[in-house]
Amino acid sequence: MRVSRQFIPYLFLAPALLLLIVFNLVPTIATLVESTFVLSLRSGERVFAGFANYNRIFNDPVFWKSFQVTIVFSLLVNPIQIFLALCLSILINQKLPGIGLFRSIYLLPIAVSLNVTAIVWGLMLDQNSGMINGILTQWGIARQPFLHSVDQALWSIIVIASWIGVPLWSLFILAGLQNIPPPVLEAAKIDGASAWQSFTKITLPLLRRVLAFVLVADTVANFLMFAPILLLTNGGPQLSTNLIMYETYRRGFLYGDLGASSAMLSVMLVIVFIIIGVELYLLRGQD
Amino acid sequence: MFVKRAILMTLLLLISLSPSLAQDVTTITWLTLGWPSEALIEEFEARNPDIKVEAEQIGFNDLFAQIQVRLGAGSAVPDVIAVDVPLVSGYALRNWLLPLDPVFTGDEVEDWLPAAVNAGSYEGTLYAAPVSTSTQLLFYNKGCFDRIGMEPPGADDRLTWEEIAEIAQEMTFDDDGDGTPDVWGFIWEQMVRIYQLQALPESLGGDAIGEDGLSVDGVINSPEWIEAFTYYYNMFNVWNAAPQGEEFWPPDIFETGNICMFVGGPWNIPRFAKNADLEIEWGVSRHPYFADGVPATPTGSWHIGVNANTENVDAATKFAQFISTGEGAELWWREGSGDFPAQQSVLALFATEAEFDELPMSYMRTAADEATVNPRPRAVTVGFLEYEQILQNIFQDIRNGADVEESLNLAVQRIESEMAKYR
Repeated sequence: MRVSRQFIPYLFLAPALLLLIVFNLVPTIATLVESTFVLSLRSGERVFAGFANYNRIFNDPVFWKSFQVTIVFSLLVNPIQIFLALCLSILINQKLPGIGLFRSIYLLPIAVSLNVTAIVWGLMLDQNSGMINGILTQWGIARQPFLHSVDQALWSIIVIASWIGVPLWSLFILAGLQNIPPPVLEAAKIDGASAWQSFTKITLPLLRRVLAFVLVADTVANFLMFAPILLLTNGGPQLSTNLIMYETYRRGFLYGDLGASSAMLSVMLVIVFIIIGVELYLLRGQD
Repeated sequence: MFVKRAILMTLLLLISLSPSLAQDVTTITWLTLGWPSEALIEEFEARNPDIKVEAEQIGFNDLFAQIQVRLGAGSAVPDVIAVDVPLVSGYALRNWLLPLDPVFTGDEVEDWLPAAVNAGSYEGTLYAAPVSTSTQLLFYNKGCFDRIGMEPPGADDRLTWEEIAEIAQEMTFDDDGDGTPDVWGFIWEQMVRIYQLQALPESLGGDAIGEDGLSVDGVINSPEWIEAFTYYYNMFNVWNAAPQGEEFWPPDIFETGNICMFVGGPWNIPRFAKNADLEIEWGVSRHPYFADGVPATPTGSWHIGVNANTENVDAATKFAQFISTGEGAELWWREGSGDFPAQQSVLALFATEAEFDELPMSYMRTAADEATVNPRPRAVTVGFLEYEQILQNIFQDIRNGADVEESLNLAVQRIESEMAKYR
């Protein structure tokens, strides 16, 4: 009786674990395995090649370019999204008249799929007929190429990603904020703490766990950014938005080079693990 | 009550299944583009009641990735695929296509244009049967020529690219004064594709690929290519006579009068001729060339191939044979893609059929003749897919303002790096 009771939690976990194994663990291992094989073009045979695929991508300037773009993108988009999400969640945590309506409005982007968002933003950012350029011309500002400019394309993608990302992550931070017991903040107020002091000394430390989760989840989500690139830029102009995820797709599904594609994914997997490890270490709790 | 109902349900189920039980029908899947295919399939199924054809129609840009993924994985479906002709060698090298030599009779092979047979073969074996071929013409809106007070060119005139540049700038109008033209002077129908743009460097004596069929250094960044694509760059960026931004389908904009001239395929002739609502007056002339160079015209189009792993070899090859030869080919040309046929017997219909005696359908005869003027196929290389896709990105960059020489050098770097796996 006792033994069988011990297994009950596992029974409840089983469906989720099974899905995790089938859809996450198995593909991950398959990718790692695939990255050590090359496909003989003529016979179609898979031949074990050790690190040949890795050797090939490490000597490939396009891989390094997309590696660089991915790092720059992550270094920009994650802090921007988390900072804005934090500001937004503090704003909507205020008890102001009409805040309920405001909350619903700013949460709307989350309800729209990323693909639809990307396409609509693509139309709005269009050089000739886009709404944003229409507004700029009204203000006497020259039309901007946005997605077609080496200098603006990555920023445009950051804006599109943040359009969904900021409200999404602020929802998590808001939950964290509402978990802070009001008496703690009141006590600080009575002791004469300024708003800034109670934010930095009380709110932020108590948000640490939530922020750690948001930082990790946001990093992963942005590392996997794919749909807007496929739909809007195809990695261009001049590879300036060629995130690794897109280059992986291009190699694997467009050029049929599964070996190189899997090798790139494996490298990315390692990098994501390292970054997450560092993030969790930096945000580790003393408790 | 329950038993009765159960028996009734079983009977109904059996009745609904009976047609498939009664007759042994083979279903084949045809991976193709969004061409009107009903007439061809109907006729084929009428002649072969034991075969059913399912057309799986997908977009141009998705077709190549689909073929790559499905045939690459060794899937038995689709049975029959539309093959863009320069990809034949890449597919054949990977053993994705069934050799088709035994399928066709000597007469059938002789009826195809020899260049199309060559393009569908790899190392002497036919892997994809010719269905259509192509050429390009200059389409223009007569109203634009009236507006600048100029006589439009005749169907047999051939303007130089230099003349096109001048006229296109004059024909670009910003009628509402918002700083963006409402009527553009010129565009290429496939504005960022090598199929159409290769004619630019080739008019100047440039080549498409190195002699080994893999190397591009010194070829696509040669002085001819730089000169040709500087012209292309100027059209969009300096003369501002052609629109930048996203790719679009120019015939749609031409019909609304917002593009004055475009270089495009003869498939536009029946399209414009049969459009009763068309308000513009239009005409065609020959494919332009550089004054210092020679006329060179794009060619090549769609072939049909059979999946090497198909479980329905007979049915699939029968269908491939039907669409690429004789009456089936003629039907496909009339009711299907409207592309230029690759069969000499069908091509000959342009000369004899009364339909082509009068304007504008007589422009088809112009096109048939233009197809014989220095037609230049796309590069023959096993890595055409990578070559094409990378150049497409690069042309899109140049169109939107990237430096020509730098972009072509980047293309060299990227293509060479992809070709390494074929060496």
